[in-house]
Amino acid sequence: MTAKTTTQTEPQWFVNRKPGRSIIVARWVPVALVSAPVLILFAIVIYPTIWMFYHALQDTNMVRLFQGSWSYVGFANFAGVLGAERFWNSVVNLLVYLSFGACLQVLLGAALALILYETVKSNALRTTLLILMVLPMMLPPSIVGVVWRFLLTPSNGAINQALLNLGLIDSHIEWFNAGVSLWSVIIADVWNWTALPLLIVYSGRVSLPPAVYEAAQVDGADGWTTLRRITLPMLKEIIAIAFIIRFMDALKFVDLVFVMTSGGPAQSSELPAYIAFQRGIRSFEIGEAAAYAIIIFIFSAVLITLFLKYIKKVLNAQGFA
Amino acid sequence: MAGLETRGLCKGWDFPLLDQLDLSVEEGEFFVVVGPSGAGKTTLLRLIAGLESADAGRIFIGAREVTRIPPYHRRAAMTFESYALYPHLSVFENIASPLRARGERDPSVRRRVTAIAELLQIERLLERKPDEVSGGQKQRAALGRTLAADPEVFLLDEPLSHLDARIRHDLRRQFHTLEALRKTATLYVTHDYTEALSLGDRIAVIGGGGFLQVGSARDIYENPVSVEVARHLGQLEINVHDAELVAQGGQLQARVAGAGDLSFPVAEQHARQLTAASTSAKREVSLAVRPQHIALAGPDAGGVPGVAESFQAFGATGALTVTVGGATFRVLTSPDLDFREGMPVRLAFDTAHFLYFARDGGRNLARGESGDG
Repeated sequence: MTAKTTTQTEPQWFVNRKPGRSIIVARWVPVALVSAPVLILFAIVIYPTIWMFYHALQDTNMVRLFQGSWSYVGFANFAGVLGAERFWNSVVNLLVYLSFGACLQVLLGAALALILYETVKSNALRTTLLILMVLPMMLPPSIVGVVWRFLLTPSNGAINQALLNLGLIDSHIEWFNAGVSLWSVIIADVWNWTALPLLIVYSGRVSLPPAVYEAAQVDGADGWTTLRRITLPMLKEIIAIAFIIRFMDALKFVDLVFVMTSGGPAQSSELPAYIAFQRGIRSFEIGEAAAYAIIIFIFSAVLITLFLKYIKKVLNAQGFA
Repeated sequence: MAGLETRGLCKGWDFPLLDQLDLSVEEGEFFVVVGPSGAGKTTLLRLIAGLESADAGRIFIGAREVTRIPPYHRRAAMTFESYALYPHLSVFENIASPLRARGERDPSVRRRVTAIAELLQIERLLERKPDEVSGGQKQRAALGRTLAADPEVFLLDEPLSHLDARIRHDLRRQFHTLEALRKTATLYVTHDYTEALSLGDRIAVIGGGGFLQVGSARDIYENPVSVEVARHLGQLEINVHDAELVAQGGQLQARVAGAGDLSFPVAEQHARQLTAASTSAKREVSLAVRPQHIALAGPDAGGVPGVAESFQAFGATGALTVTVGGATFRVLTSPDLDFREGMPVRLAFDTAHFLYFARDGGRNLARGESGDG
């Protein structure tokens, strides 16, 4: 009786709607849907991370890992890493790589992007040049490493031959000697990765409002003033993002070092991530590699925090956040 | 020497927009270009500023030809309808930007920006970013940036369009007294005819690729060269009807087509010109009457009988639509009219202010001698 009066007062769509699913389905389907990605995330990110933090405090190596006989050693792994000349050597290399590799890539990429945008007026030509400039980024680093290894071969490599023929040098440069090999890696990496900041800055420049540039012209600003007062300030967040991306990549930079120099000669071109890779994957000193990884992790955590602070400040200043 | 001059200026894209435009604005003159959107007003400003290059013709600013000179070397300051403020700079730096571009020293920049900000009543907003101020305030900041420039010609593109009524009125008044504008040639573009009539020393009505008419506000309003110009100016659109000129007993009459036997005696000064302009006494014309030249007559004062169709009251005026025979007239009335649909009214027409246009081409056939002020 009551059911009938209800159906009369409800709208038609409500009456005809599908009957509610069973309480179990309604209750558990959302949970199941959410838990699948959480489980995957746990399996491939969270568990290994916890595992790493745990083993950073153990004396784990391959033998002890398989025997299950590792034991707690406190911060001995960290003390070992921080006390080793090899680590500090790699930190110096990292700083060199950051300032002459990552920074150079961003500055060069930004400069190329702006030159391309401002000077090439034909749309088709600009797109073609952009594609050509971005091509190196499409190659896998292992290939890039091999190619540059060939190009830089001291005795009959193309680069040395070209420099000799141009009369810029008198004798072969030994590209893979100690003190030079890191620079060879940096050259190859700049060639490989300048395209990324180029793309980022170029797309940033494209999205700037053209009316502002017209206003600047009418205000009497010439090209240089416009660049200094309008373009660079408006692109500074974009350029900062390019910097941070390259810096984060630098901290885990292994591939080119491995392919081109294997950290050599005599560990002179090693970077921290490469040592972690060597100790963990080649020598199976799990504990020591984990300590390396955590040190790098802390370093990048600091970096990303500073960056987020900066972005937040910028957004605050612009009234977004 | 003219402050601004163009000779035979042409610009088109896939259609011609400006065709052989000649323009001359004296130093210190406030020249207003009024016209519908799409007529080429903004393009004219952009050509003069150098943001577009002319297809043909020459542009002079001051005594110097600037046709091929890049914008930043032309001494023109322009406001943009979209404001085009620098989003990353404060309002202060926005206004200061032409001064900075010239490399002026800090104390003098500060002095000048503060003075302009006071004038535009935005001195409290100077430290804010453009995103943090309202549309009207942005427009004033953009205007401030233009005023700061000290150019040889000001190019103002609808600078009052987004302001609220009070500030708009204030600024409109200030345009008459602004020292900078009084010394410099100003080219002001708007679609708002009241703005044009109240501001311009001279006004040009733009349309069809060029200026339809150039003259003083009074001249353009009272003696439009064509029906197009007449249509463009006026709060209520002018009433235009086909009419036939008939001589009747030595008196020229204008008989409105499709309105029964509605006819008006042609005022003497018009009749003289109309007969002088035509050889035949009978002639097809367009008769135009401004809404304010038709009045509601009292019940026993004679006048033309009609039927009231609709009524709109604005603040200070009212607009009444009346049909007489088959012709519809818009009439300007007081806003407190006691309106009923279909009520009979009597209309008194002020025939001395009638305008007569050629049916084809719309040329004014009886331009008053009083004009050309």
